[in-house]
Amino acid sequence: MKNGYLKNDQLTQFLETLRLLGALHGPTVSEAGVTAFAPISEPASWRLDYGRTLIPPKKYLLPFRENLLQFRDGSYQSSAPAAPDIVLFGVHACDLDGIAYLDRVFLADPPDPGYAARRAGLTLIGLSCKPDDYCFCSSPQGSAPCDLFLSTCEGGFLLEAKTPKGEAIADASREFLSLAPPSPPPADAAHDCCALKPQDPQLRFSDNPLWARFAELCLSCGACSVCCPTCYCFDVREYPSLSGGGVRLREWDNCLFLAHGEVAGANFRETRLERLRYRFLHKYCGFSPLQGVVSCVGCGRCKAACPVAIDLRELMEPCLPDKGDAL
Amino acid sequence: MTGAPLAPHLPYAATLLERRQLSADTALFRVAPEPAGLGALSRLVPGQFVQLSVPGGGEVPISPADLPGADGTLELCVRRVGHVTQLLHDAVPGQRLGLRGPFGTGFPVREMAGHPVLLLAGGLGIAPLRSLLFHLLRHRDEYGEITLMYGARQPELMLFREELVALAGQGGLRLYLTVDFAPQKPAGDFSCAVGLLPDLLLGFSFDAGKSYAAICGPPPLYRCLVGELEGTGVAPKRIFLSLERRMRCGIGRCCHCAVGQMLCCTDGPVFRLSELQQIPEAL
Repeated sequence: MKNGYLKNDQLTQFLETLRLLGALHGPTVSEAGVTAFAPISEPASWRLDYGRTLIPPKKYLLPFRENLLQFRDGSYQSSAPAAPDIVLFGVHACDLDGIAYLDRVFLADPPDPGYAARRAGLTLIGLSCKPDDYCFCSSPQGSAPCDLFLSTCEGGFLLEAKTPKGEAIADASREFLSLAPPSPPPADAAHDCCALKPQDPQLRFSDNPLWARFAELCLSCGACSVCCPTCYCFDVREYPSLSGGGVRLREWDNCLFLAHGEVAGANFRETRLERLRYRFLHKYCGFSPLQGVVSCVGCGRCKAACPVAIDLRELMEPCLPDKGDAL
Repeated sequence: MTGAPLAPHLPYAATLLERRQLSADTALFRVAPEPAGLGALSRLVPGQFVQLSVPGGGEVPISPADLPGADGTLELCVRRVGHVTQLLHDAVPGQRLGLRGPFGTGFPVREMAGHPVLLLAGGLGIAPLRSLLFHLLRHRDEYGEITLMYGARQPELMLFREELVALAGQGGLRLYLTVDFAPQKPAGDFSCAVGLLPDLLLGFSFDAGKSYAAICGPPPLYRCLVGELEGTGVAPKRIFLSLERRMRCGIGRCCHCAVGQMLCCTDGPVFRLSELQQIPEAL
């Protein structure tokens, strides 16, 4: 079964079906008001109309900190990655695109063992959204890569299975799904936002005064990178234990931080300007095998999170309707 | 010996066999990898690097100072500059270490065949170039004239001096040594030029149009040497530079080491000057 219609009042039943595949996680709002993907224990904690979570779903695939290796008596062993089966419900198209990008990085040869194990245990259920002022995605929502995509429609959701796993979920839900919606779904609402095209890497050396202005404003706090669904730079640290062994950890790093470009006796990105340019280059031009691939998915988190309202898009404005001559 | 792929983050074990102090803060470490690593290391090309682990400290990228010997052992020339290298310098023979790799690109030894090769080393940059030099000399009849110009800050910081002088004495290598500063030298000490490395190029006569050049040294050296070298007529696509960046993973994932849109760990660390000329931040 590839397509179906799920009525609003059968959503709880559908979620119970999803629980058969693993722990159910989805968008929630904490007591402190933070929107986050978290375990869904009771229906009251869901927020299906959420805008964006503070931290993107990359946390399920690349934990902030994880053990890579352990050593004892001078020899290293791989740490078995913890990879529980998780069903992530309610992921917007931009975040699904973000996961697809991370797949290209971490499942390429040689695949990253921890990432691959966690990815294999992750079931993705997409959900359509209403773009807000921060969003600038463009791909049609239903085209986002996931196991099963739910598009909101009159009185419920249209289901589209995109993988055999998604079809199995739809099959398991057969008894409470209808084949067709009561009325045709509304056309995909046109986004009044626009995706960024691959940028010319030389743009970072342009004499655009915005570079200097951004560098002046930037606090190097790294919020834009932490909340980015496709930022994956990591640092590796090793800690000996008092008993003689120890661990090697991998943890999120941040290209806005001063230490990112440090080598013994030098720093290749000593200024904030150089670090902003580095981020620009990685996001909009791509490194090495992914040259020319824009990894920005338009989720709007960096713009929403930046404490000094830096919007790198202003440099590339030609694609934005109201600021066509910024370059 | 096995050709099976190694887990990307897991070092194979190695043992420190011996160390030879080369200067106050630099030593040559001979390391014996366990059999699991021999297959990978047998494919090492001069200029590639390995990730060396000192348990409890972490990993550092090191470009070996020679290809593995017949017994599979590896020579690593390491300066004491940080946490991991300090631990290595404190280690005694028998210390367990870890290795990953080799990673990255090396010097194009096949492409260089039939051509004169000019090696330019500054300071610790002699380490990767020593590996290239040994390779060229072992296959001496495949290459044209081989020249090494090596500059160090002062005489006691010049690494491998006796060894290089002995090699030059056998013929087959033109050797030019220079130091930036030289205090008064005692009678009978070896003498070399005083001046910066680029000065050696002035008045040096060689077949620039046919030559390949390989450079390794600190960033300021590249900035002043590259122009001089191009001025002599060596084509930018035949000038190779070994760059240093903070390489955490060695496999293009951690994203600390980008040079323009290339990654130093997979597209480098040896780059053609022609690849770097459009990247103002490369050197």
